[in-house]
Amino acid sequence: MKIGVKVLPRKEVLDTQGRTVQSSLSENGFSVSNCTIGKYIVLDVNAKNFEEAKTQVTKMAEFVLYNPLIENYEVEQL
Amino acid sequence: MAIKIESDETLLQKFKKYRINQKEYDMMCGLLKREPQGVELALFSALWSEHCSYKSSKVHLRKFFNKNHRVLVSEGENSGVIDLGEGEKISFKMESHNHPSFIEPYQGAATGVGGILRDIFTMGARPVMTANYLCFGDKEAPRMKSLVEGVVGGISGYGNCVGVPAVTGFTEFHPSYNKNILVNAFALGVLYPGEELALSKAHGVGNLVVYVGAKTGRDGIHGASMASESFDDKSAQNRPTVQIGDPFFEKLLIESCLEVIREDLVVAIQDMGAAGLTSSSFEMSSKGQVGLKMELDKVPLRDSTLTPEDILLSESQERMLLVCEPKKLKRIQEIFHRWGLDATTIGEVLPGKNIQLFWQNEKICEIDPDLLVENAPKYERPYNLREAGSKGRKNRGSSNFEVFDVKETLEEILSSEYGTSRNWIFSQYDQRVGSQTAMDCSSSIGVTRLEHSKRGLGLSLGCRPYLMRLDSQIGAADSVLYPALNLAIKGFEPLALTDCLNFASPENPEIMTEFVTSVETISEVCKELNAPVISGNVSFYNETLGSPITSTPATGMVGMRASVENIPSDYFGEKQTVYLVCNHQLETGGKIEEMFKNKIHAQDKDINIKDTASWILDLLDIANDSNVKMSKTLGKFGLAYALSRASTEFGVVCDKLPNFIKTKEDLFRERMYEVLFAVENGPKLEDALRSKNLQFAKLGVTAKDKLIIESYLNTQLANLNEKYKNSWENLF
Amino acid sequence: MKWSSYDAVWTRKTKGYLFMSRVGVVRFLGTNCDRDIIQAAREFGAKAEFLWFQDQFNIDDYDAVVLPGGFSYGDYLRTGALSARTPVMKSVREFSQKGKPVLGICNGFQILCESGLLPGVLMRNQNMKFIDQWEELEIVDNKNPWTQRYSVGQKIKLPIAHGEGRFFAENDTVKKIKDNQQILATYTNNPNGSAYDIAGITNDKKNVVGLMPHPERALYDWMGSSLGKGFFSWL
Repeated sequence: MKIGVKVLPRKEVLDTQGRTVQSSLSENGFSVSNCTIGKYIVLDVNAKNFEEAKTQVTKMAEFVLYNPLIENYEVEQL
Repeated sequence: MAIKIESDETLLQKFKKYRINQKEYDMMCGLLKREPQGVELALFSALWSEHCSYKSSKVHLRKFFNKNHRVLVSEGENSGVIDLGEGEKISFKMESHNHPSFIEPYQGAATGVGGILRDIFTMGARPVMTANYLCFGDKEAPRMKSLVEGVVGGISGYGNCVGVPAVTGFTEFHPSYNKNILVNAFALGVLYPGEELALSKAHGVGNLVVYVGAKTGRDGIHGASMASESFDDKSAQNRPTVQIGDPFFEKLLIESCLEVIREDLVVAIQDMGAAGLTSSSFEMSSKGQVGLKMELDKVPLRDSTLTPEDILLSESQERMLLVCEPKKLKRIQEIFHRWGLDATTIGEVLPGKNIQLFWQNEKICEIDPDLLVENAPKYERPYNLREAGSKGRKNRGSSNFEVFDVKETLEEILSSEYGTSRNWIFSQYDQRVGSQTAMDCSSSIGVTRLEHSKRGLGLSLGCRPYLMRLDSQIGAADSVLYPALNLAIKGFEPLALTDCLNFASPENPEIMTEFVTSVETISEVCKELNAPVISGNVSFYNETLGSPITSTPATGMVGMRASVENIPSDYFGEKQTVYLVCNHQLETGGKIEEMFKNKIHAQDKDINIKDTASWILDLLDIANDSNVKMSKTLGKFGLAYALSRASTEFGVVCDKLPNFIKTKEDLFRERMYEVLFAVENGPKLEDALRSKNLQFAKLGVTAKDKLIIESYLNTQLANLNEKYKNSWENLF
Repeated sequence: MKWSSYDAVWTRKTKGYLFMSRVGVVRFLGTNCDRDIIQAAREFGAKAEFLWFQDQFNIDDYDAVVLPGGFSYGDYLRTGALSARTPVMKSVREFSQKGKPVLGICNGFQILCESGLLPGVLMRNQNMKFIDQWEELEIVDNKNPWTQRYSVGQKIKLPIAHGEGRFFAENDTVKKIKDNQQILATYTNNPNGSAYDIAGITNDKKNVVGLMPHPERALYDWMGSSLGKGFFSWL
């Protein structure tokens, strides 16, 4: 089963990359008020259903995939 | 006066939140002649913290030898400044970022580099070199390998992007740093002819207070209280927000700030470091003895939910505060906008000397900054006079280590984390950006060329923690003598010193004794070398659950040489004669385990500072006048290790060792101090050494691809070099 | 018609006219080797000045343009991506289309690739780390303005300093680069995993050159090598 893990900077943590990309877009005439840049991780796991897969993937996320000091994550079914 | 933020917290809860004790609270009440109100407690808490007020160290830091004919600034500003003549001035400083780096190694180390760079360019100096002094715990300790990786990654990520070369570094390991690593960052900047210093003293009633750089976020608010929280807590969301460094923003800030300083548009400038807006504005006001009005709701915010108190305490990175005449604001804003940054007026200079804080047109606080800055507590923490002789030697052991096979022992050292190459670390640093680097991190000193006069500036970091573990007088003396020696034998005259004093709790008299001994000893050595202490930083409370780090007074010594051409190399070359020059003060040493984990074998003697300092200055003359091709200071692991490190393409055939080396073990002992010189014209060097009455011994001549030490060692270089170069990856 | 302006410079120089070539050094936000290039160009008698990323320039005012190294826009999103979309690059494109010499070093190389002036892309180093060290290069092509002072097969020592220097292109693009003799220089000991050990390439007209190592950091013996001189001494 393919599971996606979306890792984004925590809202209150400065996203240096997002800030720069947003300002470059604005300078080129695009209207963007905020930009956040993170990672997207796709995992293929052995599981009967999404619930089971989510439990496994959550463990992996807590183990290594995200840094709780600066990031949040969401698990999605693909 | 309206009190906006009154909560139901009891006094005790407040003490805990603001890390204040009853005695200090009473002091505040005495100064204010009432109880602190509103944001005042937060202001006191920030400015009276050890970090901002130096309350435990101030009385001792005054003892530093800090003035000579070169010194322009050595106290009261962000960084010290010395005049090099020929229109060139330099500013340099070293600062710790230990605790943040233990929590989030990448960002902690990165923001450490960012902070020290701001201290330098705030003075109007363009940063041209950086260096890092790092102490890690035992490599098998929990998280240690990832701490090493994170810290090095953070320094690399930040420093490379900002474009300031890292030219030297120091990395050591010891279990006392297992739960409290040391990350000390050094930076040096230059002012060329016609470029003026910028200072932080606010003045001129009616002048504007302008905020530039990044917007304010929740970063690092109450960062200090982070230490007392357990990291097992589930409440990740409640933790203070990690400060994120943006080297790209810092680069823009460097260029734009230097531009406004060069155009003489600012009256005063100060970076927002620890305790953010509070410390920068209060210090500017207090130094200038003028009042400031600040409208906190005009501070650009990244997070609209921030309260006035949050805004005052936020430690968001890459922000500066400046004071300018109103007519110059437009030009200042043009320059910052050109560099993609904003400059926002948030207040003005007032008559009188009070700071007035406003929130949505309402005055929330009016206070005399001197109460917080000048009247901060100063503690005479109890300490003992250092006991001379063996009682001062905490970890002196007389255990005679045994070497069975010289080659085996040498290889063991070269493949251990204590003796192997740090190339894994420094190859991640840009060591040459700026195109002025004459000696990089692979050398015993870092050298950059001054663009204007083409002279060379050398840098060497000091403090070898194993000597501090032996005795604080010896360790502290060495933390100045050793880097001075490293510079002198390359022909660099020691000019001045910065220090970063990392200690455990000052409330522990034993620690305080080591602190006071260190300050006094460093000062004494600096005076002998006429190299004043021009800047520094104190980091106390480096301990976890009552177990202190090794007291570590790290130093950065800067020296100068007339040119960067023909600097003596660290490595032997063809057809050279090799000499060992010595001035024996103290013999230490032992096998790896003994030196770095347990007791240290050492003689029960003190170092004669005066004698050693004048010997170092003699060697400076020799290095400059005797066509020295190669020079190297002997250090930990003694002669055998030094010879192997100097032998890359060419080794040496030592047919006769001096009479003080009688055993295999003697080859690995450190006799403070000894240096290697290699020259093409031996007799000329011998004459020079004799004319100065210096003790020396001829070791032998260089030879391609081999290292021979009497009957003790006969080896090809390839194998030793392989061990030295490639062991890091196996260890980490 | 190949590299016409370079011919002009060369002719005027050899004929002994008093002539200083005019070098434009592009500054993006975050460029950090800009001052180094100005110094290097001036050292060899050229007139060098900055070009600002927000401004277009008159292409007749310059004889050569250099995009220096650094971390423009902090390397955010993709290296060179945001810089490639700035106004100054419109002029650089026009300049290069006239056959005039353009050199991109390190981040400048990345920007030239992002703007399509050079083929391929520079990816994260194989070891995923920034690498600063001296490398031996072999000059593969000297029929372009920038390496004309070197001989083919010459070995030179230059420092690299990059985190994303692994040259990559689709198979047929790499083949085309090879067949067209667009490889400028190769590494002796490939430090980053570049395809065909590529350290630098040229465009098909051979007036635009991208190079990962830093020749401006190897001008004098005290720097560790003086073999980078040739990139600037022809100016």
